[in-house]
Amino acid sequence: MRQLIMAAIAACTLALPAAAADSAPVRMAVKPLLCVVDKGASSCIMSFDIRWKSVRPNEYCLNDSAKPEPVRCWAAALDGALLQEREVSEEFVFWLGAPGGVDHLAEVKVSVLRVDSADRRRERRTRHVWDVL
Amino acid sequence: MRTLPANLLKAVTFWALACLARADSAAPAAPPEPPERHWRLGVALGYGERTNPLIQSEKIPVLVDLDIAWFGKRWFFDNGDVGFAVLDRPAFTLNAVARVNTDRAFFSKTNTRYINFQYLAAGNTSSLVPPPGSQQPTEVQAFRPPRRDYAVEFGFETLFDGEWGAATVRAFHDVSGTHDGFEVGVDYDYRLTRNRFSVAPSVGIEYKSRALNDYYWGVHADEANITLAEYHADAGFGWHAGLRSNYYITKHLRAALSVNYERLQDSVADSPLVKQDYVLGYFGGFAWTF
Repeated sequence: MRQLIMAAIAACTLALPAAAADSAPVRMAVKPLLCVVDKGASSCIMSFDIRWKSVRPNEYCLNDSAKPEPVRCWAAALDGALLQEREVSEEFVFWLGAPGGVDHLAEVKVSVLRVDSADRRRERRTRHVWDVL
Repeated sequence: MRTLPANLLKAVTFWALACLARADSAAPAAPPEPPERHWRLGVALGYGERTNPLIQSEKIPVLVDLDIAWFGKRWFFDNGDVGFAVLDRPAFTLNAVARVNTDRAFFSKTNTRYINFQYLAAGNTSSLVPPPGSQQPTEVQAFRPPRRDYAVEFGFETLFDGEWGAATVRAFHDVSGTHDGFEVGVDYDYRLTRNRFSVAPSVGIEYKSRALNDYYWGVHADEANITLAEYHADAGFGWHAGLRSNYYITKHLRAALSVNYERLQDSVADSPLVKQDYVLGYFGGFAWTF
């Protein structure tokens, strides 16, 4: 039993560097991350500043979870940047992966906040004396 | 400006019935929106205060502001108000609401002062003249503003909104037998949102009946004494204006700044119980919506 446990630990220890090598750490930053929608509007036109950086050169594709095709691919790159204008009406994810791959090496979620409501009661001013918001 | 026709409540009832009648001829409902959560929970932390117009009272500090609301298909609870959506039409929503009167809150943060019933006049110490029938006090006496009770009020509010902003018309009457008065009011606000920033100026006017004003802000005969003359507050109009702004940092977190000014009715402002003819509130902080 003890030998089995030791073997499992050794296998995991040896397997970890291999897994890390297959998917090199990639970091991605996207600005802005929030679309605020109010009455009379159903979407935001947003200009995204997307930057990513990897520890090893590889072929990477930037994907948009709402679109089937990659937004852009880079060949043997260590980093990349893109200005992308997009209409946003629902939450989605920008993610970076290998061409044709489904693994998200890095991902950033863009949120949509609706500050209005179809239910007018939610827009009524609260009345307690301490309410200031 | 201080008086209204005696049948004001009848007019308000007519307005509520007019809303009901208009509902039949209203346009068809808009396409349904995605369902929203029943609960709305939020907390704001920061610093603010609300002045207290009552004599011998302290400002009301605002360090935490909780938002607790629940909205069902028709019933709702909104920070102490319990309501029922009588009608919900594309042009307006008519709610029946039970609430607690807010004037009472000012009577919660009061101080006791010790008053020596002597005063200095031209360098000489003289005695104050007591009201007829009462004894001249000779010792230092404790004095604090009179007690007032909470009132439960029931009424109707109609909410309107559109590209032009949002408006509320409301009418409430005491149903707890506390003051037996009523209040009617109109509010308007317009929210402008640009990117992550929103600002919403608001204005409103309200009319409070003599019974309501006199209960809270009058000095009743049994409360009058050497320092507090009997006073009867009359009906009248007050108004308020405010500005609320938010900067949305994330979907749940926002920086909030708001200021609100309320001008009391003339007859309330003239009461010996009132030291300021306005209520000013402000708050700055961060709000989290769950």
